[in-house]
Amino acid sequence: MIVPRTSYVEATARRRVEAVLDHDSFWEFLPPEERVTSPHLSQLDLPVAFDDGVVVGGGTVQGRRVLLAAQEGAFMGGAVGEVHGAKLTGLFARAVDERPDAVVLLLESGGVRLHEANAGLIAVSEIIRALLAARGRGIRVLAVIGGGVGCFGGMGIVARCCDAVIMLEEGRLGMSGPEVIEMAGGVEELDSRDKALVWRTFGGKHRYLLGDCEYLVEDDVAAIRESIHQALEAASGFELEQLEAEHALLEKRLRELAHLHDAIDMWRALGLPDPDTLPMLDLARFTPIAHRARSFWKGEG
Amino acid sequence: MEGRDASPRRPPNSPTLEDARRKAGAVAVSKERQWDIGRQRRAEKIERAKVALSGSLRGKIFSRDRTVVLLEALLSPGDRVCQEGNNQKQADFLAQALTEVDPSRVNNLHVVQSVVALPEHIEIFERGIAARLDFCFCGPQAGRLTALLHEGRVSVGAIHNYLELFGRYFIDLTPQVSLIAAQAADSQGNLYTGPNTEDTPAIVEATAFRGGIVVAQVNEIVDRLPRVDVPADWVDFVVQSPHPHLVEPLFTRDPALISEIQILMAMTAIKGIYAEYGVQHLNHGIGFDTAAIELLLPTYAESLGLKGRICRHWALNPHPTLIPAIESGFVESVHSFGSESGMERYVAARSDVFFTGADGSMRSNRAFCQTAGLYACDLFIGSTLQIDLAGNSSTATKGRMTGFGGAPNMGSDARGRRHPTPAWLKAGEQARRGRDRMPRGRKLVVQIAESFREHMVSTFVERLDAWDLAAAAGLDIPPVMIYGEDVTHILTEEGIANLLLCRDEEDVEQAIRGVAGYTDVGRKRDRRMVENLRDRGVITRPEDLGIDPRLATRDLLAARSMKDLVRWSGGLYQPPARFRHW
Repeated sequence: MIVPRTSYVEATARRRVEAVLDHDSFWEFLPPEERVTSPHLSQLDLPVAFDDGVVVGGGTVQGRRVLLAAQEGAFMGGAVGEVHGAKLTGLFARAVDERPDAVVLLLESGGVRLHEANAGLIAVSEIIRALLAARGRGIRVLAVIGGGVGCFGGMGIVARCCDAVIMLEEGRLGMSGPEVIEMAGGVEELDSRDKALVWRTFGGKHRYLLGDCEYLVEDDVAAIRESIHQALEAASGFELEQLEAEHALLEKRLRELAHLHDAIDMWRALGLPDPDTLPMLDLARFTPIAHRARSFWKGEG
Repeated sequence: MEGRDASPRRPPNSPTLEDARRKAGAVAVSKERQWDIGRQRRAEKIERAKVALSGSLRGKIFSRDRTVVLLEALLSPGDRVCQEGNNQKQADFLAQALTEVDPSRVNNLHVVQSVVALPEHIEIFERGIAARLDFCFCGPQAGRLTALLHEGRVSVGAIHNYLELFGRYFIDLTPQVSLIAAQAADSQGNLYTGPNTEDTPAIVEATAFRGGIVVAQVNEIVDRLPRVDVPADWVDFVVQSPHPHLVEPLFTRDPALISEIQILMAMTAIKGIYAEYGVQHLNHGIGFDTAAIELLLPTYAESLGLKGRICRHWALNPHPTLIPAIESGFVESVHSFGSESGMERYVAARSDVFFTGADGSMRSNRAFCQTAGLYACDLFIGSTLQIDLAGNSSTATKGRMTGFGGAPNMGSDARGRRHPTPAWLKAGEQARRGRDRMPRGRKLVVQIAESFREHMVSTFVERLDAWDLAAAAGLDIPPVMIYGEDVTHILTEEGIANLLLCRDEEDVEQAIRGVAGYTDVGRKRDRRMVENLRDRGVITRPEDLGIDPRLATRDLLAARSMKDLVRWSGGLYQPPARFRHW
């Protein structure tokens, strides 16, 4: 019998918040009863959400004080509109004032809400500016990615601006999503219906192997709580030295892998044994193998 | 006296016994009847084929670039042809070759095959190569087939159930040429079908033993087969296909897509029907509704203490969603119509449960499994698209002449059955309703469906679309999947209607309206009568069974994702790429 776990992937944004924070520690600002909704959607006669698809507030994780946000994938694919974006930007401004132990982002978003066009685009750039400003003041920012929608577009950039990314194997992280790539580049470029291909291109395991995420966890809210706690304890920083190291890593990645077209070829190039079998391995067996690739990125370029 | 009277009574010209004897003698003298025309014709065709293949034939194995030439040599206008088109496995390379034959040489073929699955199966009608069709099921091609019917370019004999078509292979629809698919052949032409044996034995048996010709496409030619599923002397020609034959993973249901309404219905089925009748031998349809039941066995059914009391023996394909029930000890045996992609290693490792060969791999057989489903199962449960007020149900809807797969056979009461089981006897007793009739049992036939299906289309209708389809296509009878008189229970999110307990047609109508939810059919219910039916136990609501709808959450599923199924299987189940979200 398999022990039942509480799934993070299947949970709504609000249930994720409850599950990640210490019991009863959550407080919310701009809660749904304030009904701050999108001015654009109502003009287009589209349904609105009373929280505009994002929950923002604070609480504690194993006693450590955090501010946090959770995007709701079920409302317009977690897409960022004007209000949605302003709530996230406000969260970082508040963090600068309050100096919590971290800002935690539970991300699930297809990117900018197209219905809100420029307002959504501006919102994303404001989020990024506010995030970097908070980090510049020494506030740690963590992202958790593991919803059905994945984390794409502007929110994909936001995720990579954080101190650490925690991913589920089922999570997906990228700029353009698979359907968009197929539409723009044709099915030869990427067959978005080939789920195994999609997941080995955008999924948690590949991101972990390429060094795009720091933690890879099972679909279990307890495991996510634990990795948030670990990320709070880990060393972090936002100095020129770290930025240069990051750039060196990206350069090395381009050099070593840019000519390869399938993730499996990249894993082979990283020297991983039996790369074909990696997608099917459970994390207990995958993680030790993955360490080899991770040390490759940390080694000398 | 009688002797004297007899002769004048005979009309003057009536023939005497003597006349008959003389006549018989005359025929015998004038012309000796030939009794092996079929065999001679077969020999001629084979001779023609050998000439056409010239140097490219080695034993029975020919080179694939001669396939079209071979088919032109083997097929005469009007021949009955079976292109092995199964529910899952497809002789796709041969089907493609058949579309390329010259219609001036090969035409008016009569296609007799269970499933019309590939675009090529339709193309031969569009090109005039084939003209008549007898089949069972038509999945993705249903729209094109319906269009061809309307244009009069195909005439359909009948839409059969599987056993019925296989039966006719041995009576009046024996194929003259069969194009089949197997996993491997040896140099003699023995075939190994692999786990997806499916229809192959029925097709080959009928064709090979009545002067027909069997052509097989195989994925590989090997020195030694793991086991022989079809002996070489039943096979005439073998070709190695350039790609492995297509196998559709038709029975894989991703648990992530099961809704909480389906979980509520599954709880209702388990408590209100499986436990109520003590159903031990059964078949499930392929929808998400029944997948939900499979995934609730190790959790909800276990909590009701039902392990060992229900669901022990199955006629079922190896559904991935059955893995948790097998692993937790609910399931004792499973015989299958076909296999399922990705389940090969799991099945091979569970030979106490599944039917496997000495080589370790699975052996399936659609004809035998359909027989098992008809005679040896106490319950069939499956979904549908339309149900009328008499309980007739069909998946053929406007513009979609689908056919029905296994449901019409397994969803029918086996009137010839004799062996008793508690479930069968209890259903029979309810059907008699205390009337003084000969005791016999009854099969439980359950239609499970939400009152509204996708796009808010009502499942319940006053009149089936099947009537219009029949009229448009010139069919003698509307394509009904399961007849109302065979349906014993209709189960929706509103509860169960037990049609066995209905006294008359009006009861049946109100019982159906009483579980039809907020559809037009449901809103036209007679409230008083429906309450009365509930008092009589004809209608049972979830709350009548002590089921709290608020507890019907996805947390009850033994597996909530494909990955969970892999985990349950200990890594033996390997889902096809399209089902992997990781």
